[in-house]
Amino acid sequence: MAASDVAVRARNVSHQFGEEGESLHVRALLDTSLDIRRGELFCLIGPSGCGKSTLLNVIGGLLTPTSGKVMVGNTDVRGPLPQEVAYVFQENALFPWSTVLENVSLGMMFQGVPRAEREPRARKSLEAVGLADFADHYPGQLSGGMRQRAALARALSLETDVLLMDEPFGALDEQTRMVLGEDLSVLLSRTNKSIVFVTHSLGEAVFLADRVAVFSARPGTIKDIIAIDEPHPRKPSFMTSEKFTALRNQLFGLLHEEIRKAMADSTASERGAGGKGGGAKPS
Amino acid sequence: MAHALHMQQAQAVPPVGPPLKRRIKRWLLARPGLARLGVVLMLFAVWEIAARFLVDKMFLSPPSQVFSQIQTVFETPGVIAALRITAWELAIAFALSVMIGLAVGLAVGLHRFSHRSFMPIVLLLYGTPQVTILPLFILYFGIGPASKIAFGVSHGIFPIIVTVAAGVQNIKPILLTSAKSMGANQWQIFRWAIFPHMIPSFFAGMRLGMTGVLLGVLLAELYVSTAGIGYFTTLFTQSFNPTKLLGLISVLAIMAIGLNEIVRRAELRYSRWRKD
Amino acid sequence: MKARRKRDKNWVASRAVQVSFVILLLGLWYLGTTRWRISPILLPNPVAVWHELKDVLSTGEYIPDLRITLTELAIAFSISSTTGITLGYLISRSRYSIRVFEPLLAGIYSVPIILFLPLYILFFGLGPASKIALGATISFFPIVLNTIAGFGYVDRIFILSARSMGASDYQLFRWVLLPAAFPVILTGLRIGFTIALLSILGSETIASLAGLGHRIVHLAEGMDTARMFAYIAFAVAIALFLNTVTSMLEARARQR
Repeated sequence: MAASDVAVRARNVSHQFGEEGESLHVRALLDTSLDIRRGELFCLIGPSGCGKSTLLNVIGGLLTPTSGKVMVGNTDVRGPLPQEVAYVFQENALFPWSTVLENVSLGMMFQGVPRAEREPRARKSLEAVGLADFADHYPGQLSGGMRQRAALARALSLETDVLLMDEPFGALDEQTRMVLGEDLSVLLSRTNKSIVFVTHSLGEAVFLADRVAVFSARPGTIKDIIAIDEPHPRKPSFMTSEKFTALRNQLFGLLHEEIRKAMADSTASERGAGGKGGGAKPS
Repeated sequence: MAHALHMQQAQAVPPVGPPLKRRIKRWLLARPGLARLGVVLMLFAVWEIAARFLVDKMFLSPPSQVFSQIQTVFETPGVIAALRITAWELAIAFALSVMIGLAVGLAVGLHRFSHRSFMPIVLLLYGTPQVTILPLFILYFGIGPASKIAFGVSHGIFPIIVTVAAGVQNIKPILLTSAKSMGANQWQIFRWAIFPHMIPSFFAGMRLGMTGVLLGVLLAELYVSTAGIGYFTTLFTQSFNPTKLLGLISVLAIMAIGLNEIVRRAELRYSRWRKD
Repeated sequence: MKARRKRDKNWVASRAVQVSFVILLLGLWYLGTTRWRISPILLPNPVAVWHELKDVLSTGEYIPDLRITLTELAIAFSISSTTGITLGYLISRSRYSIRVFEPLLAGIYSVPIILFLPLYILFFGLGPASKIALGATISFFPIVLNTIAGFGYVDRIFILSARSMGASDYQLFRWVLLPAAFPVILTGLRIGFTIALLSILGSETIASLAGLGHRIVHLAEGMDTARMFAYIAFAVAIALFLNTVTSMLEARARQR
């Protein structure tokens, strides 16, 4: 695979929280490697605490792994890369004290976009996610689905090559998830972004992803990678097709055992930092 | 593969410097209490240096002198008696505050109507600067311990009334409904639902009440005192004796901390079922 | 509809109780001084108090004392708010320093700092300086503690999100930390202001040569109880006014 085709390259990434012997010691990731191609939507799925969010944070430069390295494009990841990587978090990371438009503009300001460009680009992104009429609303006035769309608009406005999404639809109800998933697929078909998407939902993974990496229980490592050969934008009819069901079953088979293992592990041991959001320690 | 493994080994420990220094840093980092002690010691050191070399001896004494000569404070005739009197004033004021505060708090809080009517009055009184009527208290209760106790009570009752009333009022209606559905009468509901629910608030109120009582009694003492510690703070101030003054203040501060701590611990013990 | 009418009825009834309570007190006061012959030195006639109050207000006798008290308040609060917020921000920058300093500051705050008034008098004398120093010292603590709480407990996701977008330290402070911490800091400022006023009035009462607190004491010593009552009412009114204003400012600024 030519280097220019690879958007993100992770090599032998391992990460542990705390030191051995400390009560909070957690081995989140073990020797994980993967290549994410340009323009693909790559899903990370696995049981709770398996390190998928940790890997996402490492790719995004929000966390320095205890060993291994990651490259985004041609750059080694040593810290946040605001020009190359944009993030959409699960919880609401919109600033509640600013309007939707201000939130999107602030993101660009942090990135370094000149003032004159910010508002037009912000409005363009908001229109792309269907929130053009809500630009002057505060996040508190919006529903969960709309907030995540605004967060997506903010990430899109940064015009990065890579988009990282950490269970962005996790807090939403199923119907909203489905609709937003379809919208995301449409967006993907229009741009050439590389998206890394962490999810718990099997259906979401199969519907959205070009490839899905299945994680093992903690310490997380990639058990298998499934390819989903279906062009974007994906139609709702895909979800009811036999192909979909077969892929979903395959995914389930791989995951089920790991989920059981993870549950046994969590009841046996004490709470640990875990994969989800345990994320970035003070840098 | 071997190379990758090697990389893993070498980087298992985050490289921050020579191992010993890093271990010490980690050790310190895990013990903020120690660092806090260090800060306190540093402050004492600053005090010591300032008092010895920078400030006139008439206005400030170094801690070494204050603490080594603490005995002289106690030996000053009347100080120990004064401390005892002040302690009594605090105890009586606190006891009275608790009794009155509890009674009034329950009376105001138990019925929606009395709460609506009287709570605003209580809050208004709570918010007024009572220190302005301190001379009135002296006028009415004299310059002896009675006025100190009265002023202390006047500061101590309000937080107790407010918290007790709140504790009674904000019991979740579902609990009352379920008690009623099981056939409890008014007294039983009070004894087994409302009263226990109110206890943590009561203890919180007592903690605030203790702070209030301390403030009231001490303010009154500092204002005018013939036999309480206020007399001696004035004496040491006017005779420009910062050593004894600081000594006395330290003793009082320790007493205040002790009393606050007692009430705080009581509060923790009796609030264990509360999540907040 | 029916519930609303019942609620309104209750509201009127409680208001009625409050009003009659106040009237009862005033009535007792009036009777006490006229019918029941309580000494005017102990309890002055309410009418006499009213006259004294009018006199004080119309002649502007209160102005120099009020000016002194308010000046002391302004200076003390400026000192405590700037040092409190600055120090609070610096401490909040690391979890560790919060764990070190916050309990220390909370602990000192739990001691009645008014105890140190004699020391301040010894050091600064009876003039405004000692009042300002004490007021600044006491009001420093709620401000610094609230500032630490405000900056220190900003939801990490906001910081993470801003950093991932490339925010610099200054940008993080200006656009994330400051707006997030603002409501809490404002509450701290309000509390600090109120406490500063109380401690200044208190220290003026205990040991001073001027100011509202001193004026009240002076009148008490001169047994001019009617005029003293007038000044007390005046001081309480000023305090309540300032309290209301600061509360309103706080509420308004928190609305977003």
